[in-house]
Amino acid sequence: MKDRKSRLNEKERASYKPIIGITIISLLMCGLSFPLLITGLAQVLLSNQANGQIVQLNGRSVGSTLIAQNFTLPIFFHPRNDSASGVDPHITLQDAYAQISRIHNATGIPSSALEEIVNQNTEGVLLIFGSPYVNVLRVNLMLIKTFPSAYKDSV
Amino acid sequence: MIDAAQGFSVILILGVSVAISWLISPYVTGIFTRAPSRVDRLLNPVENLIYRLAGVEPTHGMGWKEYFLSGLLVNILQMAVAFVILSSQGMLPLNPQSFPGLNWDLSIHTAVSFATNTNLQHYTGETMLSYLSQMAAVQFLQFTSAATGICMFAAIVRGFTVGSKDMGNFYVDFVRTLTRLLIPLGFVVALILVWLGVPQTLSGHVMVVTVEGATQKLPVGPVASLVSIMQLGNNGGGYYGANAAHPFMNPNPQSNILEMVLMLLLPTSLIFVFGELLGKKREARPILIGAYTLFGINLFIAFINATHLGPGIETRIGGFFSTFWTVVSTSATTGSVNAQLAAMHPLAILSALLGMLIQAAPGSGVGVMYMVMYVVITVFIVGLMSGRTPEYLGIKITGRDVRLVMLAFLIHPAIILIPTIVAYASGAAAAIGVGSDSLGFTQVLYEYTTSAANNGSDFFGASANTVFFNISTAIVIFLGRYAPIGLMLALSGSMIGRKRGTVVGLKTDSISFSMVLVGSIIIVVALTFFPFLALGPILSFFQGYVNGLG
Repeated sequence: MKDRKSRLNEKERASYKPIIGITIISLLMCGLSFPLLITGLAQVLLSNQANGQIVQLNGRSVGSTLIAQNFTLPIFFHPRNDSASGVDPHITLQDAYAQISRIHNATGIPSSALEEIVNQNTEGVLLIFGSPYVNVLRVNLMLIKTFPSAYKDSV
Repeated sequence: MIDAAQGFSVILILGVSVAISWLISPYVTGIFTRAPSRVDRLLNPVENLIYRLAGVEPTHGMGWKEYFLSGLLVNILQMAVAFVILSSQGMLPLNPQSFPGLNWDLSIHTAVSFATNTNLQHYTGETMLSYLSQMAAVQFLQFTSAATGICMFAAIVRGFTVGSKDMGNFYVDFVRTLTRLLIPLGFVVALILVWLGVPQTLSGHVMVVTVEGATQKLPVGPVASLVSIMQLGNNGGGYYGANAAHPFMNPNPQSNILEMVLMLLLPTSLIFVFGELLGKKREARPILIGAYTLFGINLFIAFINATHLGPGIETRIGGFFSTFWTVVSTSATTGSVNAQLAAMHPLAILSALLGMLIQAAPGSGVGVMYMVMYVVITVFIVGLMSGRTPEYLGIKITGRDVRLVMLAFLIHPAIILIPTIVAYASGAAAAIGVGSDSLGFTQVLYEYTTSAANNGSDFFGASANTVFFNISTAIVIFLGRYAPIGLMLALSGSMIGRKRGTVVGLKTDSISFSMVLVGSIIIVVALTFFPFLALGPILSFFQGYVNGLG
């Protein structure tokens, strides 16, 4: 009787052991090693992207090119404020063109120069996919860099 | 409707997805046949060590009950581990934002939702989950749930294969799916995603002073490793509340297209693997044609009324790719979203619901399993009409077989429609501000459909973080995952050792059968769900609530 019971226990233990073992091993492999290994490699090989594409102005971090920030002054291009993520960093090319006259009036920068900067910052067309858009932070930083005198009081 | 360039991009993306799926299918087949492979030298020692540590006897073959129970119990223990991590994250490391533990009901909901490949989220990741939770609860379960689904698929195919003596060994299938498929593929994809702009760091959220002088918090984290497995494993649960609409998860059109291809990759590949494992490659034909015909119908419905760039749609993605993505994500039962569902036209929502109700167009890891269920239903219907004994793969389909598949099919409407009604009758829907018009009804119906189909896309997000919705959807998710798998394993397990004749009647590998299959899927799904779809998105459409959902 005792013998039978201990044999049964052994069998039960044998069938429960893999359940626990596989759970622990998969946790270590997939839940810890995998993300930590990717983090290590990404930090070494692609540190700019891995840390969120932070951009600098005059030696200080002012934001990420992938996350919209608020621009309210008339001298800057403005982001949209109705998007799904709430932090859409881009505006359409048409939207950018439509803001040129306002920036021209506020800064005196010639419209043709503004248009040139918008065109230089247009992205988003991959072969035939997608329609062109402009990164708001990047185009504004370009404005500050290209026309320092027009922006020296604001930044 | 869409223009020629957009039509071309649909064909190109689908063509590339199917081609890659086909190319990797012999390799994926080898995972389950244990055929010698070039990666054996590297991986055999690793796998043998895992078997030894875990006490797995790799040569032991399991019957369907043991296979199912092993998978179920491993999944339940994994849920328990995730529950502990989520509810006590405040006391655990890798929590630079010092987020407190989640409530018990939200922890249960999240653990069940992720362990079952559903990924319905009633929380906002960037403001509620620590890095440890994102890794050791969310990413962990995204790997294991995808692997579990693929294992169950493999076991079911073995039952139908001539000469099989058992269903295989769950633990061996599970380990090999991780070591040979999901981890290596996920590794490459994660690095590509970082290269495209998805963050991957353990440093805390970055605080900056913006150009105009405001302070801004940038929620970085271990994002790329999560996005990789969430799309590859048809999980769909995002790092951020906005899911793939968030630029850190989906930074540009390139990442958008890559993530769409990833969602289609494994479900499509498993269709080819089905034929290869059976030793009858032509039997994959009706499943492939059926899945992609239904997918095409869903695309067509969604594209009837193009969504334009506007509120709820991201600039870099645009209306067309938001709509296309929604169909891919629901038909491949992944559930990630790259736009607000509320911004979608009712017809796109109808298409999304159809994808989740069918679950096999092409579905996720268990997509082929659902297609086999429809095939058995179809041969039964055709058998009734022609007066012949129904047969599949030369096996006579008995009354018990038909009862099992009908039960597997009927669970789905029961666990969608009953809780939808209860949510209204109990006042739980009204409690979170959902109206009883066609828009509100669509949202509640969608919530239980996405749960039952283990999809995970939703209208509610964190607003459904109430005890009623957390627990009711967790129950639906659990039943929607394990009941059909258990029934289909029972069906397949009973095929072992049955007499197989030569196919005399209906040839299931023909084009004409594929068309009959598509027709019967549409009929059974439409008959079952039409009244509810009519009260939801179809009514919205006729009421002219264009772009007004939500």
